[in-house]
Amino acid sequence: MKILTYIKIGIGAAIVVLLIAGFFWLRGETKNSYIDFGTSDKIDLTPTQIQSMKAIGEWEFLSVSTEEIVDTIRKGIFSDDELVRIYYGTLRLGVNMHHVGDNWIQTSGDSITLTLPKIELLDKEFIDEARTKSFYERGSWKPADRDALYQKAYRQMLHHSMTKENLQAAKANASQQMHDIMRALGYQHVSVTFQQ
Amino acid sequence: MKKTAGFLIVVAAIFLGFYFCDWHLQSDDEAEPAPAYQAVDSLPMLIMQVQKCSKLYTAEYRVHKIVTHDDALRLKGSLLQKEFNIKVPMGDRKVAIPIDAKLKAYIDFSKFSEENVERDGDKITILLPDPQVTMTSSKIDQKNVRQYVGLTRSNFSDEELSNYQQQGRAAIIDGIPKMGIIESAQANATKVLVPMLVEMGYKEENITIAFRKTYGPQDIQKLLKIED
Repeated sequence: MKILTYIKIGIGAAIVVLLIAGFFWLRGETKNSYIDFGTSDKIDLTPTQIQSMKAIGEWEFLSVSTEEIVDTIRKGIFSDDELVRIYYGTLRLGVNMHHVGDNWIQTSGDSITLTLPKIELLDKEFIDEARTKSFYERGSWKPADRDALYQKAYRQMLHHSMTKENLQAAKANASQQMHDIMRALGYQHVSVTFQQ
Repeated sequence: MKKTAGFLIVVAAIFLGFYFCDWHLQSDDEAEPAPAYQAVDSLPMLIMQVQKCSKLYTAEYRVHKIVTHDDALRLKGSLLQKEFNIKVPMGDRKVAIPIDAKLKAYIDFSKFSEENVERDGDKITILLPDPQVTMTSSKIDQKNVRQYVGLTRSNFSDEELSNYQQQGRAAIIDGIPKMGIIESAQANATKVLVPMLVEMGYKEENITIAFRKTYGPQDIQKLLKIED
């Protein structure tokens, strides 16, 4: 009976020593161990494709650079979702030199008369959407929602920028710039008019 | 009765859990239908800058680029002196964003003066200022944006997508020197200015349109006028 007790104590002590040794061994082995979840930030880009190239003759006399903050709200049962983005765009006002009429330049000695096409928005694509900043997002939004926001920013930019005052300023500057260029070319009397 | 009530509570809890956790795989088909809710605009325009100028745009390039981002969730670590890097199942996120951009080259006439004009009898030489290049617009092709989101991942946030788009824009700008747009701008300038000078009474053979120098790719960085 006594021997059996000693054997049991001995086995127990051996197990305790093994556990302690195992603990220290495991501690040593896992000293520099770590486990982490990670994602890759790798961004790939396809080569830039030139889809078209063309000769243009757009003479810009006024540039209107705008930033529009646009938001959309989706009503929910428990809370509303919201997406707010900042769009950037530049509206360029001027004349398209491909629209000049016949005999748009009349000269007589040191006098010259120019009849320019009417002032217009030179390019209907004026938003730099890839420059857009995300300001606030709550909820899940789809590409169609972003397209709708783009259209809203587009309308707002047109509304705020294509004003009578800006068109008038572009016209006045066009006249002034053409005066300066024609004087540099040697004409003393310059008259600038615009097509109706 | 108690069992039925318990079952209903469990179903409701699972449904609400999925709704709030927003776990789903978004396909392009989901993006197609028009939103059935009404958008409300409640914020005003931020800022507007109006500037007088005199820029003759002579060349236009339309370019296209696709930005892709492969965002796989990985379990990384080191255990018992052994490194491991395991791809977590259903932890992938991928997005492809097509970007279309318009680049234009122009000649700035705001400082054009008599110093830019040389006359020699019937002959005239116009020395033009350096051409410059700008990105006039860019458009994300939202209809063709593709997102694949694994069950264990959340959707791409608007901030993440905007960040990738801005990187794509920067890559387009970096590629401008290789496109040859400056050479096109120089050649096209004569197509606008020569007919104008012919209308003024000069003979075509007596007109010379010149630039300060022939520009190489190393010069184009200085000629880029891109807003940040």
